[in-house]
Order: sequence, then structure tokens, then C-alpha cells
Amino acid sequence: MDDLLTDFIAETRETLEALAGEIVAWEADPADKTRLDAIFRFVHTVKGSCGFLDLPRLGSLSHAAEDCLAEVRSGARTPDAALVSAVLAIIDRIGELTDALEAKETLPEGEDEFLIAALAKGHAAPVAESVAAVTKISVMPANAPVRTISRSIRLPVELLDRMMAGVSDMVLARNELSRLLRADGGNSSTDVAFERLSLCVGEMRDAITRTRMARIEALFSALPRMVRDLSGELGKTVRLEVDGGDVELDREMIEMIRDPLTHIVRNALDHGIETPEERRQAGKPEMGRLRIGARQSANQILIEVSDDGRGIDAERVVRKAITAGLVTSEQAAAMNWSRKLDLIFEPGLSTADKVTGVSGRGVGMDVVRANIERIGGTVDIESNPGQGLRLSLRVPLTLTIIPALTVSSNGTLFAIPRSAIDELVRPKSDQVRIERLGGELVVFIRGARLPVVDLGRFMGLTDTAEPALLVVLRAGGGERYALGVEAVHDHEELVVKPAAPALMASGVYAGTTLPDNSRPMLLLDVAGIAAAANVGRDQSVVEEAPVEKRKVKAALPTLMFRDLDGVVRGVRLALVERIEDIATASVIETGGVQMVPLQGRLTKLHSAAALPASDRLRLLRLSDGESAIAYAIDQVVDVVELHAELAPTPVAGPIAGVVLHEDNPVELLDPFWLFTNGATSPANDDSPLCLVADADDPWAREVLAPLLGAAGYRVMFAGEPTDDRVSVVVTSTGHMPEGVDAPVVRLRGTPDHNGDESIYRYDRDGLLSALRRHVAGGK
Amino acid sequence: MALYLIARIDQEVVALPATEIGSVVEVDQIAAVPRVPAHVAGLFALRSRVLTVIDTRSSLDLGVIDRDAAMTAVIVECDGHSYALLVDEVEDVIEAGQPEPCPALLSTSWRRAAKGTIRRGEDAILLIDPAVVVAGPEPLAA
Repeated sequence: MDDLLTDFIAETRETLEALAGEIVAWEADPADKTRLDAIFRFVHTVKGSCGFLDLPRLGSLSHAAEDCLAEVRSGARTPDAALVSAVLAIIDRIGELTDALEAKETLPEGEDEFLIAALAKGHAAPVAESVAAVTKISVMPANAPVRTISRSIRLPVELLDRMMAGVSDMVLARNELSRLLRADGGNSSTDVAFERLSLCVGEMRDAITRTRMARIEALFSALPRMVRDLSGELGKTVRLEVDGGDVELDREMIEMIRDPLTHIVRNALDHGIETPEERRQAGKPEMGRLRIGARQSANQILIEVSDDGRGIDAERVVRKAITAGLVTSEQAAAMNWSRKLDLIFEPGLSTADKVTGVSGRGVGMDVVRANIERIGGTVDIESNPGQGLRLSLRVPLTLTIIPALTVSSNGTLFAIPRSAIDELVRPKSDQVRIERLGGELVVFIRGARLPVVDLGRFMGLTDTAEPALLVVLRAGGGERYALGVEAVHDHEELVVKPAAPALMASGVYAGTTLPDNSRPMLLLDVAGIAAAANVGRDQSVVEEAPVEKRKVKAALPTLMFRDLDGVVRGVRLALVERIEDIATASVIETGGVQMVPLQGRLTKLHSAAALPASDRLRLLRLSDGESAIAYAIDQVVDVVELHAELAPTPVAGPIAGVVLHEDNPVELLDPFWLFTNGATSPANDDSPLCLVADADDPWAREVLAPLLGAAGYRVMFAGEPTDDRVSVVVTSTGHMPEGVDAPVVRLRGTPDHNGDESIYRYDRDGLLSALRRHVAGGK
Repeated sequence: MALYLIARIDQEVVALPATEIGSVVEVDQIAAVPRVPAHVAGLFALRSRVLTVIDTRSSLDLGVIDRDAAMTAVIVECDGHSYALLVDEVEDVIEAGQPEPCPALLSTSWRRAAKGTIRRGEDAILLIDPAVVVAGPEPLAA
């Protein structure tokens, strides 16, 4: 209330000052209509504010003056000198009371009645004199309050904007100066002075930023009246609790929240809180409770509106949504409670069964959410049917300064609002896999599939999409996608201004900003990009469904493809690393085994039939995370969710079994068989190092080494320098390299067992198992 | 009498009402903006203000301004946003009388942008509406 009172005092005093001239002029010519109107407006305004601020004395004075002036305006009374003096005395008294209010003093009561009585018709001059006397008493020095100097002023926002722009210019000039000073090498006394200047500029920027802030009280103060009027109209009794009015946020932001908040409160009163009768039957207190609270958490303001009404039944919302054609019953079945509840934010959905004068006129929660999201906020809903509803609005502190992450693609920088970012992931880490499906990229992050929008390609900056980093973004409405970028740079607070209409029309920008390096940058509109890149809603449904169903039925996304023999088969999507087209000529066939070079490595190729005669061959690169195989196919058909029971095939082979998909049997590939039969698990830097002692033996070089390499060992020959620890030594001649401390596997040239632990050199399995044993033992 | 800025766009000498012009600046380092109409050349920072740079030639369907040369831009305000209109050259500021109606025979691009003509000595100069230039070429489908 203090704020309102200060506003009232400032406003009243301001008008009084402006009115002083009018009053004198009116006194000189009581018939002057425009002067009269100005005075009438003044007392009318004071009266209105007094009712609101609970100032009965000012109220009755201004009310009496208003009545009297209204009669004059309508011509029922002609202003005479007595009336003019009486009105003037009242206006003076209003001024005195206002001063007293500010100084927190009280003026003696009782004199007000004289002043009011003096307005009455038929009062003769003597009364006017008595009025004058009263007035005189009240302005006696002893009584006159010391007029305190007002500590608040009113400023046009435009002036503040100019100050803000001026400070921004100063910051840029400071940065330039800083660059010049650095280039000059630096002089300690100049540096110290510059540091001080720098600090001052920073503080000034903060202070001016603060001038744009106001207490959220300004938003909350209108609520008690609204709740009172509405609950009266609806025949409900509601207790309103307001909390956190002293939280500060941007003035413009307050205006942006006003309508959504009003809407939410109306909804709560109309649909949420029941009538006293219903509440009694439900065993609740007759008086409903509506709580509105605000608090600051980090750089956001959280506004919560909760009631103890009937809440929202998510199932009912879903039924409405299905009737309205917003979702199909299959989609609905896959949704969890909170997702169903989220449908309340869909356009064209009103749960009000009947339209009332208060709410439910088709303008619904979708508008509320759109408004909040437009200012970079979010809306969450929590519902306990029968117990109540809680809506949480999260909005940034200010519209103009946004914490943002700077990213780039092909050298062009963009800013992304921090509030929209879920996480940053590298595509090559354990839990993250990027795949190419039908020309589009998708990424699996800890099992959830998200569409990928490559910033460079989306913006037309690059042709290829090879994102080095993925920024997972919330596009609003529970929708998420990954934005592929080349690099992430800074995390900074940016002053954002609206961009020109031609830029905003593209739908992918939220504004322009000028970082400290003076290179203009665009703030991306996260939701806009999702829409422009056609990152559909259904994809997020796909993402969610497997997570929920896997527990019960193990529904897995499955890639359906037409195999080379014309049969449609399926493979679990998680195994598909990528779909690739290669030149058919690059397939090598050796010893009945087909190999293809994939990513610089020979990979075993499986095919269900002879390879086609065409130039290009399409294949699936399947990976179990460690090793990879290729599977030749004709074409990709679809990606579907398969959760039916698998009928296993009796014989181990490339087909694991048959599942039903839309009543058609589909063969599923058996990854286990495919990987056990010829997966290439290439040696890498972490593979055990196998030292072959016989560097000069051609057999060791030409026969043994390739076998070891294919089995996943790194091979080196005696005499070659290495810093790595040798895991195992293999020798067929009995030579032992010097200075190597490692287990030794000896090979012999004949199959006959000769009593020692040596292994016949063509006993492949024996050799490999001996190697494994020693490597495991050596660790 | 009113003041007009005389500039050249694609060989054509044009006038812009001086009351609508903030200043004339040399533009370097335009930050490109993807996915916007072609006549939007990018963004340019003039002290702490971010200006949207408009290629006037492109805006009037007359090709594009040579972006390698030193670029001169006329700063205008339009609907609360600041724009830098790239022109080939700024020649002069003159005083002239009330604009007269346009001649009937004008190419389509000029007809849209011209508000009338003013006199400089014997010559008639097209008076250009900056707002039309900012708005860009008309969509083809219209």
C-alpha cells in the first residue's frame, strides 16, 4: 500500500500545483466552464483514490465538493462567491491533509464539517467568513506541517530509455578505450584511473537498469477488488491471500503479465472454486481460498496462483481434446497425467461446460501461455482433482536484459536465451548418438529421441550438417529439440531490443543485441525455429512413448526396411548407427566374406541375397557401441514402434524371430547373431599391446600379426620403440626380447603336444584364449 | 520551402525529405542476417544502436549495391526502428518547394517508391518515401 499512497500523494500534489492557477481564475470568473471542469476532475479523482486507499476524511471532503460542483455543472446551482470560497477551502484542506499524510501527522478533526456545511445551498456570506476563519486557523504556523521534500519524482519511461542508451554508449566507449590502452602497453597510473572509470560505468549501468524496475505490488493491488466483485457475482465466498508484493521486476514486464494473471484469477474463481453448497458437501470449508504469491528465484520471478477448488481432471481434458480433434485416442493413451493436463494449453480447448460472463469465452489458457512465453517465461500446471489447482508462472526479471549463450556456426554468432536451454551435449559422448534418418538428423540422448536442427544448415550458412555440439532447447509446450552448432562461446547478459519488422517476420529471431565487442548479434527465437524447421509435435510424442511403455511391453522404435530379397524386415533402431550409400564396387569379397570400407575401416557386410547390380548400395551401419557391422538393404520403409511378442526362430541365424506389425508378420534381425558372426572390433589405443618377438620371421609378420590385429590387439615387433606397457609377448622361435616384463605365449611348429605349455601355431582358438587369459591376468 | 537530401540510387538521382533523416554515415562491417528478405543487407552498429541495413537497389528491384566499395547510408526512423538505407552516393542537401505529382511514365519500381518530384534548378528529381524502401519489394504473388 505504501507505494500506492506515495503515488497518490505525488499525483495529488502535482495536480494541486497545476490547479492553483485554475482556482484563481475560477474565483475571478465563476461562470468559466473549463476551469470548473478542471476542478471537478480533480476532486473526482481524489474521491476515487480515497475510497481505494481508505482515507475517509479526504473522501468525505472531496465527495461533498464533487456533489456541489456537479450541481453547478448541471446548472442546478449558480456559483456565487460563497460557494467558490467554500470549494476553495476544501481544496486547500485536501492539500493540507495530503501534506499531513506524507509527514505521517494527523490534523485536528472536526473542522471538516464546517467546510462541508459551507457548501450547502443558502449559506450566506457570514458562513463564508467562518470558512475563511477556519482556513486561517488551519494554516496557522503552529499547525502547519513542515512540508517535507518529496523523495520521489515521476519520469517518462522514454527518458529512462535514453539514459539507458547513453550508458550503453559509455560501455562501448569504455571497451574501445580499454582495447586502445592494452594496445599501448599500459601505464599503471592510467590503468588505475581507467579501472575506476570502468567501475563507475558498471555501477551506473546497474543503477539505471534498476530505474526500470517496479514492485509487483502494482500488479497485485487490483486483485482484492476484482476477487471481491467476481466472487460476489458468482455467489462464492473467497479469501484472497497475497504474498510477495515487494518483489521487483521490469515495469514493462508487469504490464505483460497483467492480462494473463487476470485471466488465471478469473478462471480460478469461476471454474476452480466451488459454490459454498458444493464445498460443504465435499467436506471443505465454505470459504474458498485463493493464494497469489511472488518470489524471486535466481534471475526469474516465480508467480504462483493456487486455489483449493475442484482442480482440473486431466482425463476430462483429454476427452475434450479428442472430441475437438486435437489428439487421437492412440496419442492420448500414450500420454501421462501431466502431459494430458498440458492439453489445457492447446488452442481451441475450453473445459468450461457452460459459457459464463466471467470466463470460458474461448479465450483460454493457450493465450495465457502464449503471452507468458512471448516474454521468455513458462507456465506450469499442477492439479489435484478435488483438492485444487496450482499454476506457476516463471518470467525473467526484465525484458531487456537476458542471460544468453552465444553460439556460432560457420563464423556467424547468435545468442540463445538461457531460459530455453536444457543442456549442452557433445554428439560423441557415451549417452549421445546422432543418426541420420531419411535425410534428417535425430539424436538419442539417454534413450530419448530428439529431432536435430543444424543451425548452420538451417540458416543457410553451410551445406553439411556435422554439428560439433548440440544445445537441447525447450521450444515450449513440452517440445524439445537439439540445435546443432559449431561452437559455444560466451555466457553473457545481453541487452536485447526488438528487431525490425522484416527480421521479426522471419519468425526465427527474438531481437537484436549489441555485445561489448560492438558486433550486432541476433537473439534466436527458440520456438520460432522449431516451427520453421518443422520440428513437429508428434516427434515429441514418439520420444515419450517408448520411455513409458518400455517398462511394461518393451516397445522399441524399430527401423523397417526392404531387404535385398524383397522381404520387409525390421531392426531395432537403437542399433542403427547410420544409413549409408556406398559404391557397390567398394565391396570386397574374400573367402566368402564380404567387407566394406566404412569410416576408414573394413567392416563385415551381411546381405540376405546377392548384391544388386546397381552402382550404389544402401546399407545400415549397425553398432553395439563397440564394434560395427554393415547390413545391405534395398530401402528404408519406416520407423515404427514394435512392442508385440517376438516369436523366436528355432535355429540361430540372422533372424531373431517374427513380430506382428499391423497384423503383418515382420522378421526382426538378430543383433546377437550378427555381431557374434563377424563383427569387426577394431584395435584402438586402449587395446592390449601384443609384442611379437620374432621380428625377422616372415610367418610372424604375414600370418600371425594379421590374426592378432583382427582379434583386436595392437601388434608391434621386437625392437620397435614404445612407451606403452606390453600386455603379452608371443614367440614362435623361443627368442625373448630383452627388458620386457610381460607374460609370454610360446608357439610351436607342430601339432604334437611336447609337454610344455606351448601352443600349436595354427591352433587359432587356443592361441586367442591363451592371449585373453594372459592379458586378463596381467591387469 | 523544405530541405531535401539528394542521393543517387542506381544512376537515378533521388530526393529524400530531410525531416525524416537522422544522419548520413559510412557503413562498414555489416553483420549478415540469414533467412530474411534479400533487401535486408544485415545489421550495423552505430554507437549503441543497432540499425537494420537496407539495400535500396535490391528494395527497388534494381539489383544490389556494390558491397565492396565504401558504403554510404542514410539513417531513417520508421515505426520506431532505425534503418540505414544504403545508397550509391549522397550528393547534396537542397531547399526546394512543394513536391509536384509524378510523371505518369515511371517504371514499376520507381512508381511505388516515388511520392512526387521536386525541382532542382531545371531538373525534376524523384522524391522517395523511405518507408516504401524499408518495406522492400512487393511480393511477387500479389
